[in-house]
Amino acid sequence: MLALRRTLQTTALITFALAALLTLPSGAADKRSMILATTTSVRDSGLLDALLPEFTEATGIRVRVIAVGTGAALRMGREGNADLLLTHAPASEQVLVDEGIATRRTPFMENFFVIAGPAKDPAKISAAISPEDAIRRIDAAGAGWVSRSDDSGTHKREKALFQAAGLDPEADRDRLVRTGTGMGLSLQVAGERRHYILSDIGTFLAFHKRVDLEVLSKPGPSLRNIYSILQLDSSRFERPLHTSEAEELERFLLAKKTQRAIGAFGLDKFGRTLFTPLHLADDAPASPPSPVSK
Amino acid sequence: MLDPELQTLVEITLRTLWVCGSALLLALLGGVPIGILLGSSQFMSRGLLVSSVNAGMGAPPVVVGLIGSILLARSGPLGGWNLLYTPYAMIITSTAIALPLVIGLTLAAVGSLDDEWELQVRTLGIPRHWRIWLLIREIRMGLLAAVIAALGGILSEVGAVNMVGGNIAGETRVLTTAIMMHTSMGEYEIAMSQATVLFGNLLLLAGLLTWLQQSGRKR
Amino acid sequence: MTEDTQPPSIALSAHNLHVRRGRGKDAFSLGVDHLDLHAGEVLVILGPNGAGKSTLLRALAGLERSVAKDVIRGGDGPVTLVFQRPAALSGSAEMNVRAALLGKGIPEEVKRQRVTRALDRFDIQALASHDARTLSGGELRRLALARAFVLEPEVLLLDEPFDDLDAEGQRILSLDLQQAIEDTNVAVAMVTHDLRRALLLADRIAVLAPGRLAQHGLRDEVLLRPNTQDIARTVGMTNLASGRVCRQAGGVSWIQIEPGFEVPTTAELNQEQEAWIGIRPEHLKLDVGRGDGESIGKAVVESLISDGLATVATLRVHDRRFTTHLLSGRGLARRLRPGDPVSLAVRPDQVHALPA
Repeated sequence: MLALRRTLQTTALITFALAALLTLPSGAADKRSMILATTTSVRDSGLLDALLPEFTEATGIRVRVIAVGTGAALRMGREGNADLLLTHAPASEQVLVDEGIATRRTPFMENFFVIAGPAKDPAKISAAISPEDAIRRIDAAGAGWVSRSDDSGTHKREKALFQAAGLDPEADRDRLVRTGTGMGLSLQVAGERRHYILSDIGTFLAFHKRVDLEVLSKPGPSLRNIYSILQLDSSRFERPLHTSEAEELERFLLAKKTQRAIGAFGLDKFGRTLFTPLHLADDAPASPPSPVSK
Repeated sequence: MLDPELQTLVEITLRTLWVCGSALLLALLGGVPIGILLGSSQFMSRGLLVSSVNAGMGAPPVVVGLIGSILLARSGPLGGWNLLYTPYAMIITSTAIALPLVIGLTLAAVGSLDDEWELQVRTLGIPRHWRIWLLIREIRMGLLAAVIAALGGILSEVGAVNMVGGNIAGETRVLTTAIMMHTSMGEYEIAMSQATVLFGNLLLLAGLLTWLQQSGRKR
Repeated sequence: MTEDTQPPSIALSAHNLHVRRGRGKDAFSLGVDHLDLHAGEVLVILGPNGAGKSTLLRALAGLERSVAKDVIRGGDGPVTLVFQRPAALSGSAEMNVRAALLGKGIPEEVKRQRVTRALDRFDIQALASHDARTLSGGELRRLALARAFVLEPEVLLLDEPFDDLDAEGQRILSLDLQQAIEDTNVAVAMVTHDLRRALLLADRIAVLAPGRLAQHGLRDEVLLRPNTQDIARTVGMTNLASGRVCRQAGGVSWIQIEPGFEVPTTAELNQEQEAWIGIRPEHLKLDVGRGDGESIGKAVVESLISDGLATVATLRVHDRRFTTHLLSGRGLARRLRPGDPVSLAVRPDQVHALPA
């Protein structure tokens, strides 16, 4: 037994030595950091990659961006696994506020959804008077529809639109495709099959060249896509959140300079801007929680 | 100095090698002794343990990732260690995925030895730690197979390391998670260059190990 | 040449050896009250399959668990066991032999000497650099023996060391082994099913019955005076019969097997006593009028089987089969044909008999 124990001890020793040695690339363990939970479409737009370096430089705070589905991001907030949320699902966000998990919800930028489809437009939705009307036309024509079906912000909006059009969003339809996956992939599926699809403008622009779809809807209030910052109540969680860092990030995102940058973003990449800032009027975050505006 | 995209690629590649290398090493250091122990001793619960190892070998890595992310989250039981979204979580998860594989293959290698091998060596009066050395020598080809298999699995792991690492730029982004991200963003060119680097590394390492394996066979 | 009159020292003395293996229906147990191994002597262990011969060896080697035992060692030298199927470590033959010396704190120079000597003993120096896994069966056996002897053991246990060897291979190996035993004065216990080989090498014999030691002692003791008919068969005393003492004269008792078939023996028996007799094949003579012992009756040759060296003649005697050995190609072996009548004779002191 002695030799076996010695072997195990040697093994453990080597393991620890290696682990210590391999700690080299880590670095910056004691600097300030925070976890920002957001959605994949926000990450995919590249906005954060453009904005955050300046924030880190100015404050020394390392922002660790975790991009997951909307549902997962909100869940992270609910369980105290993130310090700040950046999502675009107003109804669900309000639930968090009502439950007291989020201390405030601050819309800070917006863009819009589009209903895209094949250029031939078999359901003739380009003539629709509203997004709800467009949905009704698609249903009436029995045209194909691709749904993300993943409880993302986009999917939630899609369900709301269907309901507003008087249709059951969960009902099975002929030529309904549920991808259960991200926006980009869903757009590609829609392009391949010449189906209609609801998409956020950012991802649509990113995939525009390789997907055979056109924007066929006209802008409308029901297609507004509002992005909000959610500040969380640290006292609810066993492990305290990095609240001060979270508040600094929020201040940064709402600052005039940043808001202007948000408004200008996308020009070089897509030839058009992606977002409309909502806080150009003032520098300070809106103190009272703003109601959902729809 | 370097083109920033290239710089990022290098940084991600180095991190990939570090995470995967560490996981491989840990899986071997932990798995080989356990495999040898399980393979050479007879005790009551041995059957149960071996079944667990076999189940572990077939366990979907994404499940390991899910369990890891639940355990390591701040809200989880191991949240105090602050490991989620760090490369260490990725190393731990990759090790957990590769460990059953290493144990299982080492077990098989030991099992391929004659039943009485251990007894025969014992009757020569050779002390225990030397017997273990002889055993490892005897199964070295099987161990090499375990290394190759584990390496392949660890390098190609994407789902689990994405879940526990978070794919954070500059911190936990590795080649596989970067490829997945860029692909979902439609940036296929970047994804392809990363895939090429990943594949290149894989070929190099696999080639090296295969050469070792074949030259060992000739002897 | 002066005879060595000192009795050989006891290298290993085992008492109350009890091995139990398996459970329930397949349980196997072996009990040996007392068994000694003497330095420089070969103890051959005989017995039917499954009696526990290999188990006994392994128990002596200390490999069997659940052993209650008392083993007293004459010295502190190594005890080693050469298995029926020796394992070849991956590497050269030399490496295999060398491996036995691992971790024993032996200086390199001494190691080299011992390895060379061991390879030499069994004539495999030429194979030293060969991959051990490419060796033939016979070469592997020699390697295993070299590996055992490099340890300079005090007790050597051999499990079927002559398995898979042809006659010539066995002969040479046997000689080399004997030489090695003589050189090193090692105490040897050997299991073999080859009776002829056993008889050539044995100094002492132990006969196992299922699960126990039936008889043990000096070679001739066991060969010539087995305690039971089963043991008699095991040690090659195949001509057996039972009868009753019908007359006695001059220290010789005549046992009547059947009317007209009487066998004389010098064994101590009483008149009218029921007894069984055993005659080793080599002691059963064909009466050619040379006065070699007492005539015991007529027989008919049933078959003659020769292996080139000896001819085994099977004879039909009063509805029984007896066997005897003739020198192949000579005399009687050449002249006799199946069906020929012959007369049988024995020397009474070569007829073993015990009360039934």
